[in-house]
Amino acid sequence: MTPIESERQQPETSRLFKDDTRFALGRIAVFQYLSVGVFLLLITGFWVLQVRDHEANSELAERNRIKTVPLHAPRGKILDRDGRVIVDNHQAFEVRLTRENLKPEHIEPIAAGLHLDPDDLRARLKRFKSRPNYIPITIKQELTPGELSFVESHRDAQTFPELDLVQTQARLYPRNGLAAHVIGYVGEVSEQELNSSDFAKYSQGDIVGKFGLERQYNDILTGVDGQRRVVVDSVGRERQVLENLDPTPGNNLQLTLDLDLQAVAELAMDGKRGAVVALDPRTGEVLAMVSRPAFDPNAFATRIRASDWKELTTDPYTPLMNRAIQAQFAPGSTFKPLVTMAALETGTIDPSFSVHCGGGATFYGHFFRCDEKHGGLNLHGAIVHSCDTYFYTVGNKVGIDKLAEYAEMVGYGKKTGIDLPGEAEGLMPSSKWKLRTQREKWYAGETISVAIGQGAVLQTPIQLASIIGGLAIGGSWYKPHLVKSAARPDPVRRAEFRSDDLTTVISGMYGVVNEGGTGGSAAVPGLDICGKTGTAQRVSLTLAKSGKVGAELAKENGWFVGFAPRDNPEIVVAALWENVGHGYAAAPIVRDVIKAYFDKKIRMTESKPPSLALMKTSPLAVAH
Amino acid sequence: MELLLNRYRNLTVLLVAILAQLVLLAYQVKSNGEVRLIRVWAVTAVTPLARVIEGGRSSAAHFFSDYFVLLDVREENKRLKKDLDRISMENQYLRTELDTADRAQSLAIFQSHSPSKMVAAHVIGNGTGTGARVVIIDRGSTSGVQKGMAVITPAGIVGKVVDVYPVSSFVLLITDPTFGAGVISQKNRVHGTLKGQGHSTVQVEYVQNEEKVDQGEFFYTSGDDRIFPKGLPVGEATVVRQGRGEKEIYLTPSGFQNGLEEVLIITEGVHVAIPEVPSTNQQVHLQDPPPPEPGAPQAVTPAQNGPVSDADRIVDRYRKIGEAEKHVYGERAVIPNFNVNPDEMKKKDDEKKSDPVKKQ
Repeated sequence: MTPIESERQQPETSRLFKDDTRFALGRIAVFQYLSVGVFLLLITGFWVLQVRDHEANSELAERNRIKTVPLHAPRGKILDRDGRVIVDNHQAFEVRLTRENLKPEHIEPIAAGLHLDPDDLRARLKRFKSRPNYIPITIKQELTPGELSFVESHRDAQTFPELDLVQTQARLYPRNGLAAHVIGYVGEVSEQELNSSDFAKYSQGDIVGKFGLERQYNDILTGVDGQRRVVVDSVGRERQVLENLDPTPGNNLQLTLDLDLQAVAELAMDGKRGAVVALDPRTGEVLAMVSRPAFDPNAFATRIRASDWKELTTDPYTPLMNRAIQAQFAPGSTFKPLVTMAALETGTIDPSFSVHCGGGATFYGHFFRCDEKHGGLNLHGAIVHSCDTYFYTVGNKVGIDKLAEYAEMVGYGKKTGIDLPGEAEGLMPSSKWKLRTQREKWYAGETISVAIGQGAVLQTPIQLASIIGGLAIGGSWYKPHLVKSAARPDPVRRAEFRSDDLTTVISGMYGVVNEGGTGGSAAVPGLDICGKTGTAQRVSLTLAKSGKVGAELAKENGWFVGFAPRDNPEIVVAALWENVGHGYAAAPIVRDVIKAYFDKKIRMTESKPPSLALMKTSPLAVAH
Repeated sequence: MELLLNRYRNLTVLLVAILAQLVLLAYQVKSNGEVRLIRVWAVTAVTPLARVIEGGRSSAAHFFSDYFVLLDVREENKRLKKDLDRISMENQYLRTELDTADRAQSLAIFQSHSPSKMVAAHVIGNGTGTGARVVIIDRGSTSGVQKGMAVITPAGIVGKVVDVYPVSSFVLLITDPTFGAGVISQKNRVHGTLKGQGHSTVQVEYVQNEEKVDQGEFFYTSGDDRIFPKGLPVGEATVVRQGRGEKEIYLTPSGFQNGLEEVLIITEGVHVAIPEVPSTNQQVHLQDPPPPEPGAPQAVTPAQNGPVSDADRIVDRYRKIGEAEKHVYGERAVIPNFNVNPDEMKKKDDEKKSDPVKKQ
């Protein structure tokens, strides 16, 4: 191209280029304005959302959760025969954990703040693994004020898993294990229980009776839980109640126990090992029942730690055992009233039958010793002084099968049927029993030991109280029971004993306490207390002498059973003091309980109007 | 490339701005979930502009006012007022300086006397929104501050750290309705939980009506919450009354009584004993904090006397009878009389002891 041509074409190109640029700039400008507009809209939107309406939006965001809060029904109270509260409920808080945001590193701080064992907490979470994470699980009951503070101050959902406080009614048991074995305790239903028909209606995490009356009358004591559906904010504050279903409390349970007698029996057994059972022989009502050593049911009410549970179950003195109904020991001389009855009723002897005691006697080539050289004794003297030689002779005459027949008639070797779980049967041996269980014949020499309540014969404290109580009222036995009933019960057994024979036995037992017998420490002036001591070996003499058992266990158990008054008895008390060495040691325990019974009767009579007071005059009042 | 950027410069800037906004939003959502940063930026961004506009408006208004109305008198008055304002400002400034020096000194003394390790911080802002009880302090993770740490002043507790940034932190104040802390009363050693109310007073919850708390009684931290060490002042009970199920106790927090400009963040807490006597003058308390009680438990709550049933009361009665009659239950010694009144017997015994004539 020549320069002239070039000059000619240049203005044309420049014009076209300028037109194109202008056009592009115009379009970009429109686009820019649009973009700025959109951006401003966005900024304005953010401003409105995040700054201007921040509070309102926060409120809305916080109000979007609906929660179901369980309303636990309080269990029924347990009252004594006078309506005084033995087991109560008190308001408490439990903490529930929602596991949605739970991380392994949360376990330690939560356990520390709630005073839980981290391993226990982990085990608990593992147990509830099958339950969806959004359903909260209770990790601790009965929070202390400090633990409440911990929960309230860690409600930050971003750093901690959700912890909820639920108001509940916790069980309040008496302190120091009072009547612990009778009342029992509650706890969380176990997997094993859930598989049984008794607990079919419960679900994981529910609280049920686990032991004692709490277990026996669980259905009566348990109420029906309610629930509240509420709208809560992010920190768990209730904003609105959607639904409120009130809980139905469980029914109260009135017992036959008398707290006055129970208190005295508990204090009398303080520091000892053994049991006390007081019954009204006319009805079978249990007036007091103590087993020591005891445990604190309150520890179970707050979910017992695994380490504490292990300590209880491995304790050699078995504090969880209700000795009153489960301790089976040889009855010792408390068996002698039965031997007497069998001998008299079968006509083997009469009350004038005498034996000379020279400190023991030889039967079937073996010498059986007596504690003392009693000299010549008739039946009354033999009971009063608990002469073994006399009863060796009588037992030998009666024979094991007749003894067994009468023993079973009065209740040896069978459960009394008390309304508590886990009662033991005791044992009354016989020739048939030996053949059945050991496939051996009974040797007559074995009867000699049985005649003084040793050998294979075993009884529980409740059996002893029931048997002697039944004899004392003339041969009728009522089923021991702990729950008060309006209807008068019928006897479960009657024995057609001759009244003279019964009188002979009762007279002997009166002499034990009031005529210089072995149970003199049970005597109370003005009260016709009758009783019988019993000293029973726990281990054979050979084993005791061998030193293979400790010195404490080698000592004999002490039994005492007493009733009062002599005529128309109203109370019978059996006491077992393990390894104390002699039965007379247990006599003051029984005395204190009987004294408490009659002292209370006076109090009650004095506080009633005169017309009623005349109707119920205690023997002590007559004596005054 | 350069040409392309130059050509679409505005568009590029716009895209970068939007991208930055999105990145920052994403970062914020991931790191915190709250939206306070944008609010702080927004407020910070708007404030200078607002100040310029307000300055311009004010100058213009003054000009017209000065020029048109009472030119001379106003001039004189203005000069006098200006002098007064200047002197007042100087006075105020000096007073503030003095206060700051006092507070700094108090803080330093408190810090040196306290067994807990602390970091001092200035309050540099308040959380926005009407219901927010949050303040911003000028210390963050670079100073060792962590989420959940206790924040106090020498006069009492103030709050806890809820969000931590490199050089600043957010502190939830004890007056916030979501706040909770374990407290214990000084005189009667009653445990409770402090809850904010959204205003100047705070409430102590979970105290049974049967518990004894006096009006005017001082509350301290109990250490149960694992946030505040035991023994820090909380406030004085200004209202104590029986409520439905539990006591209603309201406190006036002591931590705010000297304002809230400097605070201490407890980085390593040490429990101390609750003082036996109420501190009537907090300044004195600041200058010379009481030493810890020798042998006193550090963090454990005192034994609580829980509720008892009828059964426990009856056992206690029989125990008293045994003591009054010198009877050992289950032992041979004496035959007890369970119908005596043990309290009367004790009273008679006491009278005999105190009256030698009767004794004879």
